[in-house]
Amino acid sequence: MPDSKRQRLVSQVNQIALNMSANGSEEMVADQVAQHLDKFWAPPMKDLITEQPGNEDIGLTSIGQMAVGNLLKILEKKQT
Amino acid sequence: MLEFYEPQADYGTPKSTSTTMVTLSIDGVSVTVPEGTSVMRAAAESGVKIPRLCATDQLKSFGSCRVCLVEIEGRRGFPASCTTNVEAGMEVKTQSDQIGKLRRNVMELYISDHPLDCLTCPTNGDCELQDTAGELGLRSVRYGFEGDNHLIAEKDESNPYFTFDPSKCIVCSRCVRACEEVQGTFALTIDGRGFDSKVSVSQDEDFMGSECVSCGACVAACPTATLTEKSIIEAGKPEHSVITTCAYCGVGCSFKAEMKGNQVVRMTPYKDGKANEGHACVKGRFAFGYATHKDRITVPMIRDSIDDPWKEVSWDEAVTYTAQRFKDIQAQYGRTSIGAISSSRCTNEEVYLVQKMVRAGFGNNNIDTCARVCHSPTGFGLKTTLGESAGTQTFASVADADVVIVMGANPTEAHPVFGSRLKRRLREGAKLIVIDPRKIELVSSPHITADYHLPVRPGTNVTLLNALAHVVVNEGLQARDYIAERCDVAEFEKWLTFIGDDRHSPENTASITGVDAADLRAAARLYASGGNGAIFYGLGVTEHSQGSTAVMAIANLAMLTGNIGHEGVGVNPLRGQNNVQGSCDMGSFPHELPGYRHISDKATRDLFEGEWGVTLDSEPGLRIPNMFDAALDGDFKGLYCQGEDIAQSDPNTQHVEAALRSIECLVVQDIFLNETAKFAHVFLPGASFLEKDGTFTNAERRISRVRKVMPPLSGKADWQGTMALANALGCKMEYNHPSEIMDEIARLTPTFNGVSYDRIEQLGSIQWPCNDDSPEGTPIMHVDQFVRGKGFFAMTEYVATTERANRKFPLLLTTGRILSQYNVGAQTRRTENSEWHGEDVLEIHPHDAEERGINHGDWVGINSRVGDTVLRADVTDKVKPGVVYTTFHHPVSGANVITTDNSDWATNCPEYKVTAVQISKVSQPSNWQARQKSFDKQQQGLLKDARH
Repeated sequence: MPDSKRQRLVSQVNQIALNMSANGSEEMVADQVAQHLDKFWAPPMKDLITEQPGNEDIGLTSIGQMAVGNLLKILEKKQT
Repeated sequence: MLEFYEPQADYGTPKSTSTTMVTLSIDGVSVTVPEGTSVMRAAAESGVKIPRLCATDQLKSFGSCRVCLVEIEGRRGFPASCTTNVEAGMEVKTQSDQIGKLRRNVMELYISDHPLDCLTCPTNGDCELQDTAGELGLRSVRYGFEGDNHLIAEKDESNPYFTFDPSKCIVCSRCVRACEEVQGTFALTIDGRGFDSKVSVSQDEDFMGSECVSCGACVAACPTATLTEKSIIEAGKPEHSVITTCAYCGVGCSFKAEMKGNQVVRMTPYKDGKANEGHACVKGRFAFGYATHKDRITVPMIRDSIDDPWKEVSWDEAVTYTAQRFKDIQAQYGRTSIGAISSSRCTNEEVYLVQKMVRAGFGNNNIDTCARVCHSPTGFGLKTTLGESAGTQTFASVADADVVIVMGANPTEAHPVFGSRLKRRLREGAKLIVIDPRKIELVSSPHITADYHLPVRPGTNVTLLNALAHVVVNEGLQARDYIAERCDVAEFEKWLTFIGDDRHSPENTASITGVDAADLRAAARLYASGGNGAIFYGLGVTEHSQGSTAVMAIANLAMLTGNIGHEGVGVNPLRGQNNVQGSCDMGSFPHELPGYRHISDKATRDLFEGEWGVTLDSEPGLRIPNMFDAALDGDFKGLYCQGEDIAQSDPNTQHVEAALRSIECLVVQDIFLNETAKFAHVFLPGASFLEKDGTFTNAERRISRVRKVMPPLSGKADWQGTMALANALGCKMEYNHPSEIMDEIARLTPTFNGVSYDRIEQLGSIQWPCNDDSPEGTPIMHVDQFVRGKGFFAMTEYVATTERANRKFPLLLTTGRILSQYNVGAQTRRTENSEWHGEDVLEIHPHDAEERGINHGDWVGINSRVGDTVLRADVTDKVKPGVVYTTFHHPVSGANVITTDNSDWATNCPEYKVTAVQISKVSQPSNWQARQKSFDKQQQGLLKDARH
């Protein structure tokens, strides 16, 4: 079950990244995607997408991967 | 606002808008009025009534009845006061022996060919002909009643809402002119000449067989009993009236609910209502019978399982049961395992209370609203680019538009009163560009022809909008000074590079959009250089995987051409339901509090925490599709759904049904056992708009009062039901009247600071923002600067939807509405409106139909990647080849069994407008339809058991 749940989220992250792709450099887009996820996603969704194990390829695009990494940093910052 | 019944004041001719004043004398009294005012109106405004029959202030003066004759010093003869405008120093005499004699002569002729059945006539006591005869002192008719006459003319009773009795017609042309000037349908005409003159419907057809849209403007205009509401014929003249606001579309028409006791006998559009100015459509004027339909459920009900019979209980028992179940669920599954969905059909005060109960009572932010599935991209797109999640204009502003773009909207069907207003402006000469896959009525109808129809392929709106902007930029048509002064120039320069790329040219995008490049170029030039340009858009823009991008592209286009911030221009989302704007304003989205302030903002949370006495969760909650997914994953177990039928209206019905079945406590508050309620464990009886006080906010940001005209059938208005549940959950709420809820909203929301029921009473209605800066509201937004400061040109890269046609699913299905039905049809299906649209049909282009051997009227199966259903075929060239279209007003149609989970990237608004399908001729309903029929039968049986 978590895998299919995660796949839904992966698809959404990739879709958001693709739609923001013209906004600037990959780094900038990844940052904007992370902010978007933080702003609009509920905590269980954020937790699930950032709990990806190690370097496993779960289907995120490179920008999507970066965005999720940035989201993790945002979440960690909130906890401190 | 309750008052004894009186017809609305009628000044005879329309008000002049001139600012130059003219002073004249009427019956020796000095009167000052605006230049352009008729003598008749000047007299009426000074308290002098001049008799009239063919004149009414809703129509241009006509001068046919000759009853309004007056004497004017220095002028020969007896001019008609309706067609004579005031002049400085004019001396008018409205009464003299000679005038009285002339008027009586005219009346004698009218009455000589009119039935003398006043005592049994349905409009006895409410008839202008009768009143005028009385005012003129007519006592006899010298011509007798034996000659040729029209007294045996046949009555037309084909329309379900009104009758047409030509024997009572005086051929004043008011009905014909109302159909032309007010409604713009041109269904009526005067046929014949002289004595043979008669009102003719279309080509001498009956009303139901004609192109009449049953707006009722002709009925309202008729000065006799020729056109009369059947409700008045049955019930008689109203005794009192209450002014309230329509609960159908986002136009927000103001009405006088005309009553006998607690029974509504007529809904008369209110002339002082600023959204509609005295006009209405077939839904608002006539389709109110659902409020007292036999299907209404007025007693709370509970059950442990959806296979159990319902048990009728008291409000106390229902509320206690619900609160306990929600508490148990939270204890077992956690604080975030429950949530709520509020409705755009409910009042501002009601949706505010639901989100308050969720945030303060449930202790989470799992609140969403049905705007999720319609205009959530508008909120996101306009907030991003302009700084406020709302349209920029008043409806009246269209009167100053020179070029109008209508994109993904069908105003004459879905927003008919605005559609009439728009058509009026188009007849005056404004240019029109329609962007729509379908040939909607505005593309070509009597006296209206779109200058350009760009039949965009579903799913490619962003490409088309980019191409329009590309033309404006590459041909140097942009508003350079406006942009330099009002927009973020650095962002604009970035966008300029993006949009200037040749890949956005009409020629290079034509293969994607299916739109002729030359037409697109011409349309872009027209919008950019044709004067005031106004854009009106609807769900054909928002309900896409790039809905938010398309909204931003529209805002870009408007800023690029300087078309925001004054009359006649703007970005105007046509909201689907009556209170979409309001439900969004009231903090119904899971990420923001009232006034569009993010839940993570501590200062805003502090404000609400102080008022509510709780600590708020700083993280966003679940959106509607997230709730469904979480329910199927076992994480979401309790849902309170007020006034929304998600089982019929949300996409991928089978997915929604599975989610609803997995919820342990589903609470539905509604006026009928809707599709969602069939999966419910608690049913709380809702109140129709006639049964409660509150406010609605229309697509113009106009806050109007909803006033109770009859007591709630269940004993509680919806806000009272929510309040009872909140209190049972330990979330204390103490309101005696919705005005107190609005006071709280105003205290907590900067854009509503100046709003109160007293203020609305004073002003009639208020367009927010209304605060110290704008104490009387804000008709036009972004006048001096954008709300966000500098306008932001967002990048709008086209990303093709993943829902693509292929060999297996070669056609694209798009969905929409029809005039006579409303949304899921829960209200309109329970009125005579179903006589016009008793079932949803599938529109297919003749080419696609022929390829598949499908004839008009055949049953066709429609298969998509997620489901299938069966509808009857309507073979028509309204749709282009490769596109099929249907409506979703009837549950059994299963239109949303076919639509998918694809959604807008930013907001998750479903992609209703693009579903790849295949169709084929079939002979029986789909499996889902068979299951739906069986489930409906079971649930109706369980309801029947409860009622026994």
